[in-house]
Parts: sequence; structure tokens; C-alpha cells
Amino acid sequence: MHHGVIDGGNQSGIPYGRGWEFFDERYLGKPLVYCGTVGRMPVTVGGRPAEEKGARPGDRIVMVGGRIGKDGIHGATFSSAELTEESPVQAVQIGDPITQKMMFDFLLEARALDLYSSITDNGAGGLSSSIGEMASAPGGARLDLAAAPLKYHGLAPWEILLSEAQERMSVAVPPEKLDAFLELARRREVEATDLGEFTASGIFHVLHGERTVAWLPLAFLHDGLPPMKLVARHAPPSGPEPAALPEPADGAAGAALAAGLLARHNLASNEDLARTYDHEVKALSAVKPWVGVHRDVPSDASVMFVDYDGPTGYALAEGIFPRYSDIDARAMAEAGVDLAVRRVIAAGADPERIAALDNFCWPDPLPGPSNPDAEHKLAQLVRACRGLHDICVAYGVPLISGKDSMKNDAVVGGRRISIPPSLLVSAIGIVSDARRATTLEARPQDQVLVLVGETRDELGGSEWAAARGVASYRVPVFRPEVWAARYRRVADAIARGLAGAAHAPGPGGLLPALFRMARAADAGLTVDLGQIPVEPGPGAPPGWEARLFAESGGRFLLACAPERLGELLAALGDEPAAPIGLFRPERQLTLTLAGRALVDAPLAQLTAAWKRAGEARA
Amino acid sequence: MSGAVQVLIPTGLGLNCEAETGHAFRSCGAEVDLVHLTDLFTRRHPRRIADYRVLAVVGGFAYGDHIAAGFVLATRIRAHLRDDLAAFLAGGGLVIGICNGFQTLVRLGLLPGPDAGPHDFVPRAALTNNDRLGYRNAWVRMAADPASPCLWTKGMGNFDLPARHGEGKFVVESEAVLDRLEARGQLALRYAGPDGAPTVAWPANPNGSARGVAGICDPTGRVLGLMPHPDAFLHAWHHPDWRRSDDPAGRIAPAGLEIFRRGVDAAARA
Repeated sequence: MHHGVIDGGNQSGIPYGRGWEFFDERYLGKPLVYCGTVGRMPVTVGGRPAEEKGARPGDRIVMVGGRIGKDGIHGATFSSAELTEESPVQAVQIGDPITQKMMFDFLLEARALDLYSSITDNGAGGLSSSIGEMASAPGGARLDLAAAPLKYHGLAPWEILLSEAQERMSVAVPPEKLDAFLELARRREVEATDLGEFTASGIFHVLHGERTVAWLPLAFLHDGLPPMKLVARHAPPSGPEPAALPEPADGAAGAALAAGLLARHNLASNEDLARTYDHEVKALSAVKPWVGVHRDVPSDASVMFVDYDGPTGYALAEGIFPRYSDIDARAMAEAGVDLAVRRVIAAGADPERIAALDNFCWPDPLPGPSNPDAEHKLAQLVRACRGLHDICVAYGVPLISGKDSMKNDAVVGGRRISIPPSLLVSAIGIVSDARRATTLEARPQDQVLVLVGETRDELGGSEWAAARGVASYRVPVFRPEVWAARYRRVADAIARGLAGAAHAPGPGGLLPALFRMARAADAGLTVDLGQIPVEPGPGAPPGWEARLFAESGGRFLLACAPERLGELLAALGDEPAAPIGLFRPERQLTLTLAGRALVDAPLAQLTAAWKRAGEARA
Repeated sequence: MSGAVQVLIPTGLGLNCEAETGHAFRSCGAEVDLVHLTDLFTRRHPRRIADYRVLAVVGGFAYGDHIAAGFVLATRIRAHLRDDLAAFLAGGGLVIGICNGFQTLVRLGLLPGPDAGPHDFVPRAALTNNDRLGYRNAWVRMAADPASPCLWTKGMGNFDLPARHGEGKFVVESEAVLDRLEARGQLALRYAGPDGAPTVAWPANPNGSARGVAGICDPTGRVLGLMPHPDAFLHAWHHPDWRRSDDPAGRIAPAGLEIFRRGVDAAARA
């Protein structure tokens, strides 16, 4: 998998902004790879808004890039089917990054010359999907598959139409520009082939030479699928909460416990793996994926300049909490949005200018003999969508793109393995001046640590619960309608320079966040856990486990100079916020509660554990 | 045409650092032509290489680095452009090859070049797989040889650049060849440890190059090839430490830009 990303990513010349991994045994049958891409385009092309595209009747259908082979036939069906030993090898597409790169370069050149009117990638469904989609603007298409360039002989017409062989784009070229388009492609050593024309016939008409092989009214093609009627039934798990663990016997015992948590795959450093990806090509990076004195702590968000000539930048971050789905997929979706949004704000993004991308990967929600809990999986989907909708509306974050993959199940050794419902949320936020972007690195003057936001007794689905091997059902509760105002205040405080460093606690809770800030500053940190804002709620106030490990949303860690503390707290208004600790030169992480040291750990001990896990994997 | 230094940056075929390299040269007052390699090969571009004062072969993955890094591109340049390139070099033109561009120049035989006389396009070295196999993107410390004739790195001392490659280990036939290159100052740039001295120890030296070689020049000092990317250190905010630094003239001063400036200034004087 890493080789694929290295070859495909690095050779594309697109900087690889973020890299991370999430582990759960249920991905054994179907490992997922998520990729989000940010593009920049001119405001206008040929005098028209660049985002407007649409083939017109008479435009030529031109396929550009690689040739068509049997590889990738049924690729989409395959990625949405249960994986077994009998799954076909040819369903996997064979990548050829250099062909793709040469095609990209050519298409950018052709775009600058305004040589095409519409463009779509050949992804799932190949030509059937790309031309079928593009045909909806002009109102029809006539496509000759016999003209399509093949890798080798022996493909049936349906295989040519459906192949998902990679590195291909479909383009609509006005007839008067066809010669110029094809001539430029020849000069750039990129294959481009005229496959027919867009029409206004209302028909998706596919020929192989003289022979018609498909003749489908567009109305049927696009709107002919009757909506499915499915039953969703939410069957949330419940049970007694696990007994609280006794406090660590002393600071050293707490240190061993902290080291064990930091060594877990989902919290450990994966720096060495992520450094195999080029994150600096194009020379627009302002905050790299790795920050801190030792450049080994993952940044909350990567920040890039938009261009060479101005300070405007954008921050990219993500959030994903698949294990929350075991309790409530709504919380899973909310947690992803909340963390991604907090991360870009921590980097200096404007809360009014954040957008997000939603990528759903789900276990099969269709009923069947081997899928007894399909109704629950569908209910999880409904709840996740509602949660996603509500939190995005509350934060004013539009979902500008997204994708879904709905059958992530495998049968291994006769046993069905379904992935946990997994929504990846990727946020992009505008940073008006990337030269003033913030990271979690406290500078020497940033000596005071402030925690904003309440910590609650909600360890359900947490990394801590997984580490303990216990089931807790108290999944974090999200209050975006309350937190939206808080995030604006935090963003204002950061923009005014009141906080020199900012960090959004995420998976694992406060403890890993405190460790990362200490490691990034290469300094010690002493924190009084008795000072953290807590919300008692109906039950008991959070105990030591919740204070250290609860993944409550809505929280920021801010570091500031002692003389700015008053100003910072004033800027936060009535938000729950408190100074909780101090940085210090001795590299020791000391966390106390009621006068007792829960964790007293040399930074070196924690760092070694955090890195060793990563190395063992590499 | 103005009196500004004219820079040619070939593009396409898998190269991917043309935008930032072009920006770097423009920032130094040069005029830059980004020209697709296929237009150079077919002479569709109206100007010859010798019409420029500087040629920059940028980073990327030309032809996907198939066979070996830089191999196919060097072969095509040799086939289509050797005479043009020879005329350009004979006229005193400057060349910088960065990362994949360095690999290409070594395959072409431009680096380290013949001991004496005009360039003969005979390969005399190789850049091969890093000792720790695989691609790695991390910042490294450089040490410039103060006695090197290299026009691009004169007086540079110690500075930081990002390294981003999988095939950067510099190899020559024998220790004696290395001795000769070192004696003539052709080992222009070395990977340096925290003490500023050349090192072979990972990660300061990302590929295990003998004597810490990161970049070499030809005997004239006009042709430089280096694995790290000066094109990715053009202002302080490219440096990983900018948030903690309060000395804009210190480590975060954009050393990459300084390399381009030295090249442009030398080309303007020549």
C-alpha cells in the first residue's frame, strides 16, 4: 500500500500534505485507503467561469491518456463486493503514474488554450460512466468503441465500455478545436483518440464499428433506477459501565501506563512512514506535516500557500473515529467533523471559511442471508448522515465533495468480517496570512498552558477503552450549537497573537495531547488535572481516567506568555477555560490530581515508546 | 529582450519542480522560459539552448525513473540535444541540476565531467539507491566546500535544505577518483552533522554517500548538480523552524534562494 502511495503520489508532483494510519482488526478483510486532493484553478478560462463545464451537441468525445485493458473490469463492483479467495485479480487496476503525469501536464496546457468544453475522469464504470455523465449536458452521445485504443486484442465491446484501466480522462472538444487538441497531444507524446460525438438525441448510443451494442435513453440511464425501500432499525448496544481503575500507585506507575498508551498503533508516531511521501514539491508549504524542535510531532493541520506571490494560505486536517460507531454512528460522524474543524482553527484558519469533504466507507447495509444485522448498519448510516448534517450546519461548514463505498465486508476462513462504519472528514480552512499560521509548538516565551472546553466522563469508543479492553457505552456528546461561538473566540485569540501555540486534543484524549506539546517544545510540562474545566453532568464528576483519556470534543490547548494570560482569558469570555499547567526546562511530564502525581514521566521514556511502535511497524 | 539573465527550464515528461524553480530564478531578476522537452527535442521552440545563459534541469520523476533515475531522459537529451548543449557549455553557460535533474546530468556525463577540455558526455559516476532503501523527505544540513570553484555555492558555508529522494547515493569508480574530485573542489556540497562537518551518518546524510557528497560541480564550477532542493527554500516560511526562530538572518534565511542568486549573478558577469 505504501509503495502505491509513494509511486502514485510522489510521481504526480502533488505535495502529499498529510499522512496517517488507523488500525482496527475489522479492516483485516478490506483495508481502506482514503485520499483527498485540493486543486487550484484559474477564475476564468476563455472568458468564462472556470467551474462551468458542459459538452455541447456536436462536441467530439475524446479519450486521453492510457489505453484500455482488461485490468480494472468490474473494479467498482469489486470494491463494493464481499472479498473472497475467488475474487478476480484483474479487478485491480494497474497504475502507471508517468502516463498520468504526462496526461495532467497536457490537459493543463490544453485548458490554458481553451481547447475543451468539459472533462471527466474515467473512474468507476470507465467510459460508460464518464461519457454517460457528460452526455446529460448536451442530451446524448454517440460513441464508437472500435476507435478506442486497447492495450491488446481480445476485448469484447462491453469490456471496452466498462474497463476501469487507469490514467484516462474523457474530454469534450468543440469540432473546430479538435485538430489543435489532437496536434498538441501528439507533440506532448500523450495518446488522444476521437471516439465519437455528443448529440442532442436523448440517447446514449454505443457502437462497435457499424454495430450498435448499446442504445439507452438518457432518461432511463440517469433516472431509471427505482429507489430502494429498505428498513433501518437502530439497535444500540448497552450494558453496565466498566468499573473505574484505581489511580496509578505512583508517578512511575503512571508513566508506564502513559508509555503503553502512546505506543499504541493509533497514537504512535508514524513519522518514518509519512516521510516517504513528498510534502514539499511546489514549494508552497508553510506548516509541514511534522513540527516541533525534533520535527517529529504531527501538526494539527498542514498549511500551504495558495501561490508564490501572496500570503494567503489554507489549512488541511482530518478527523476519523470509526470505533464510536460501535456505540453510535451519529457520534462517530460528529466527532470527525468536530476534530477536523478544531484542527484547522488551531492552525489559524478563519472559522467562517472552512469547508469539508465526507468520505463514507460502510459495511453492507442490504439484507441477505449472511448479513443478519443489515437493518442496524442502515440505521447507523441514517444516524451518521443526520449527525453530519447537524454539526456541519451548526459550524457553517459546507460539504463540498465526498464519496461513498458501501460494501466493505470480507469472508475470511468462512467468517464474515465487516468494517466498522467509517466516515473520514477532511477539512480545508482559509488562513488569511500563512506566515502567521499557528502550530502546537510552544515557543520559549509560551510558558502557560490553558485548556478551553469541558472534559466529561465519556470514555466510550476511546483509545483508552480499547487499551483497557473494556466496553464503555458513554460515547462523547457533541454540542456544536454551543461550541461554534467558542471556536470563533479561540480563532480570534489566535489571530490576535494571544496564544503562541494551539492544539486540538483528539484520539487518546488529553494525555497524548500534552505529550505532543511537550515533545514539540522539547520541554517539560507540569499540569494540575484538578484545574481542568469539567462538566459534572448527571453522574459523578470525571475521575482520573476521564480527565486523562476522555475524548470530549470542543476542547483546545493554548500556550501563552504569562503576561498575556489575562488578555487571553478575557478574549475567551465566559467560555470554560483555565490555566492548567506550566512548561519547564526539565524534560519531564508531570500530571497531578489533588496533590498526587498520577504521571511523572521523563519525556525520553514516553518518546521512546511513541517512536518504537512506529518503527516496529515499518 | 531586456538585459536580464535568460534562463531555460525544460519541463514535462515527468519533471515536476518547474514552477518553484522558475519562481526562484525570477525572484533573482532573471527571465525564465519554461519549455516543454518535446518542443526542444523537435526544435519547435524557436530558441536554441545556446540562446540562454542558464539551463536548469529540475526535480521530478522523468519517465517515471523507469530503468534508473534520469536514464531515459538523459538518453533522449543525448540523442536530440547533445550538439546544442555542447555549444551552450562552450559558450560559458551555467547549468544547475536538482535531484532528478542531478541524476540526469550524471547520466549525461556532464557531472563530474572530464578532468580537462570540453565536455565529452561520458558518464563517470552514478547516483544509486539510498543505503536505507526508499524515498525520504526530510531537511538536512549542508556544508559548502569553501575551496570549490563552484559558482553556485561560493561562500555558502553551512545551511539547510530539504532532501527528497530515493536514489541519491553518489558512487564513483574508486577512492582515487573521489580523492581527485575532492582535491579539485568538485565535491561542492556535503551533508553535514550537527557540528557542521561532513558526515556519512543517517539521517544527517540521507543516502549514505561517501564523504557526505550531496552535490558536485564540473571542473569549471559552472555546472552544479545536487540532490537536496534549493527550490524548496525560497523564503523563511519554507524552513521547518520558522515559528520558533527570532533571527531572520539565521538558519531560516532562505539559503536555497542564495544559490539561485549566485548562479544568476555569475551568469550576468560572464
